[in-house]
Amino acid sequence: MARATRSPREPLLDVADIQGNILAGFNKDQQLLLMLTLRDIPAARRWLRRIVGDISSLELVHDFNALFRKARASRGHDPAGIIATWTNIAFSHPGLSKLTSTEEANGIPDEAFQAGLPARSATLGDQNPGGSADPTTNWKIGGTGNVPDVLLIVASDSMGELTKVADRLRPNAGDGPGEPQVIWEELGQTRPDMPGHEHFGFKDGVSQPGVRGRISARPERFLTVRRLAPPAPGDMEFASAGQPLIWPGQFVFGYESTDGSSGSSGGPIKPAKLKPAWLKNGSLLVFRRLQQNVAGFTKFVQDTAATIPGMTPDRLGAMLVGRWKSGAPILRAQQNDIPALGVCPLANNDFLYTANSPPPVFLPGTQVPPPFAAAPADPNGFVCPHAAHIRKVNPRDQDSNLGDQFDTLTRRILRRGIPYGPPIHDPTTDDGVDRGLHFLCYQSSIERQFEVLQRDWANQTLNPVPGGHDVIIGETANQQRALELFTSGGTASQTLTAPTQWVIPTGGGYFFAPSISAIRDVLGAGS
Amino acid sequence: MQVDHFDPPGNIDDFGGDANLKNLWTREMSGMFEDSVALVTQFLHIHNGGICQFYNPFTHGRTAPDLAPSLGDIPWNGFPKRFASTGPGHPTRFADAEPSRVTGQARLQDEYLEWHVNRNAAGKIVSIHFTCEAWDYFDFLAEHAPTKILQLYQTFINPAVTRADLFPGGSYNRLNKWNTALGAMHLTHSANNLGAEVFLAASATVRRQNQGVELTHSIPLIQCAGYGDDKRNSDPNIGIAVNNLARQGRMITLANPVGLYMSGFDGSGLTLNGQPAGGFFRVVRGSFPRALRAVYELPPAEGGAGHTVSDITIGGQALEFGGQLAERITMHLFGIASVAQDVHNSPVGCGPIPTAVAPAHAAPAAVAHTTRLLQARI
Repeated sequence: MARATRSPREPLLDVADIQGNILAGFNKDQQLLLMLTLRDIPAARRWLRRIVGDISSLELVHDFNALFRKARASRGHDPAGIIATWTNIAFSHPGLSKLTSTEEANGIPDEAFQAGLPARSATLGDQNPGGSADPTTNWKIGGTGNVPDVLLIVASDSMGELTKVADRLRPNAGDGPGEPQVIWEELGQTRPDMPGHEHFGFKDGVSQPGVRGRISARPERFLTVRRLAPPAPGDMEFASAGQPLIWPGQFVFGYESTDGSSGSSGGPIKPAKLKPAWLKNGSLLVFRRLQQNVAGFTKFVQDTAATIPGMTPDRLGAMLVGRWKSGAPILRAQQNDIPALGVCPLANNDFLYTANSPPPVFLPGTQVPPPFAAAPADPNGFVCPHAAHIRKVNPRDQDSNLGDQFDTLTRRILRRGIPYGPPIHDPTTDDGVDRGLHFLCYQSSIERQFEVLQRDWANQTLNPVPGGHDVIIGETANQQRALELFTSGGTASQTLTAPTQWVIPTGGGYFFAPSISAIRDVLGAGS
Repeated sequence: MQVDHFDPPGNIDDFGGDANLKNLWTREMSGMFEDSVALVTQFLHIHNGGICQFYNPFTHGRTAPDLAPSLGDIPWNGFPKRFASTGPGHPTRFADAEPSRVTGQARLQDEYLEWHVNRNAAGKIVSIHFTCEAWDYFDFLAEHAPTKILQLYQTFINPAVTRADLFPGGSYNRLNKWNTALGAMHLTHSANNLGAEVFLAASATVRRQNQGVELTHSIPLIQCAGYGDDKRNSDPNIGIAVNNLARQGRMITLANPVGLYMSGFDGSGLTLNGQPAGGFFRVVRGSFPRALRAVYELPPAEGGAGHTVSDITIGGQALEFGGQLAERITMHLFGIASVAQDVHNSPVGCGPIPTAVAPAHAAPAAVAHTTRLLQARI
């Protein structure tokens, strides 16, 4: 009965108008990023009108993903014959200003977006290896003076299809003189040797929030499948084990967003009035090209583990990340990796920090996961250090310097990253190859979401909870990062110092991903 | 932990070599602890909640090993949560957080960090002064070291401050013009004091339950126990951090010197003409992580070039309010927790801990301090 009371409260999402990568995620093995500059505006509009029919909606992507999951579940492996190629688009502040006006572009209620990534880079802790005050001068794309107007994302299960579609969508002479120009492009690919893992070897994208909202007028058709029974009043509601539900306005303009103020219980707050109105169904996209020094990371973990009695490199790596390479959370696999746990979506994200995780109450019809060890309460970070990457960027039920667990919900982002560059052959030896992550995330406030995670939490030793830097992604002025590991029941501790960063920003940008109707009727309209 | 005296906040050298002042301060601080312990003890006794897990390290120091210090560290953001952005399209209300004040009017900043913005005739910011010094410490100085308090005002606010400005009619006026309309010498918000800090920490050691379910989240806990304001970053966070340790059966106190501190400032992305400007933030009393007072102003060379603080940008945004820097300040309280002890307390139902001590339960020192504590309550 509780489910029936839940559905009317959740808004009906405009699934035909919201771009598909935002709320559903492309989840493709190949993803091409094309950065463009707009030269002649009439030509730019003609190009937009030509490609708008290829922009993949939430409806298409969601339905495909559901079909794919169903086929995989029945076959036990990825269905080879089911493929799709998707396209999404986003615009920087200069790009939007060119197509509308600076005043309209400034209507997007986020000062970080308005300022642009080059102006915000230093606030994120980015450093220029050459010592310049502007960290972005050497970036491959998106640095000062090299900010693209448009980011086009083409993703596919098939490399051949991706190439065909991308070539068709590229601006050409038929769009008119001064057509948009591709100024940079790069292919991201899942690792063929370890699909779903980033270059350090860890499974990526395990923990994603559940977005509330319905995808059809039918009351039970939620965007995020509900697998758990409703909680007690006032408690946080989860779609699945470890997947809290967040109101869609946290990611898409024009819908109720999660209330992080005290005593809110995460209830919805009404969306602010949008001006211009065409911002509705749009989202803010952060792109960071993060180069990874795999050999540096591997060597640090190996050398440091050798100095700690009883420690192995894999376990130390798991303590730095909060998960083993398989994706198994260290709170549920304290001494050794449990690969079966890592790949079990109903168990690999099911843990809290300050309280023993209660056994999930699955709804009828859900395939109950195997009985892995339950996650114990770890309020002091004895098992999963406070500075572990996944704990720094999502302290879950533990209060942060900014508020309680519902405030933390308002900081969550939807990650759509994919590796670029080939896997390293010998992870202990630097081969000089450029590899890393195309980090992409969607939110409705870059300032309150992505930037808080990077600047206020990952880069700081005391926030969200004292214990050190996030040595995986944290950035400091001298690159040194440190974290504290506790021993002897917490009466003693050991500080580990990472001498240099292994994740180096080399490009990026802040973008707005408009609704499909806005692309067609506003940005692409007129001459 | 056990101590043989209490130091002034931030180990600041306000007492010089005056042994009498040091002893008086130790007595003052110890009294705050005794008050709180007495009140919590009485409350637990009445409700069969067990023993008080908060202790006075001066009179009842514990020899059990303590946890690593960082496990008692409690941080929170210095900008008031009540004025912070609540979501897209609901921007942070910086102007509302720092309206101009007149003599007698406390500031609205309630995260144990207050600030005053000095502007020139053109309305440009010349300097921003941050303080996290509790008003009850200044009450103490006013009572026992009036010359020192005048010296502090003259050093940090204005050389023109007079004794008469601070002590109209002979009594110290916390809300004098130099600490309201014209500056920020110490905290003014009624909640921003050391007595409240100690009592909050003590109160939060009490385990709580509502309808038979133990409360383990910050907001339900603070709403049940009533030990602070649930609309802040600070009080709920302090409360749940202490309560987490208490539920583990630990004995808890506050580290000496007791205080509310600025522990860090994130100056990344502050620029003046494209050059880093985060270093213009200077701690002028205490030092990180126990900073008591800080100022943000341009060095003489920059100011001499005709610039003002209003020319600073933060990630491309103009610096228009002191609150934009307060957002970059991490506040801090230093707790101390022992290894788990043989403590088996029971959760107690909701309701605040009364601040009146029944004579049958009161230690003699507690009675003397009850009035102060009542004043300190949030």
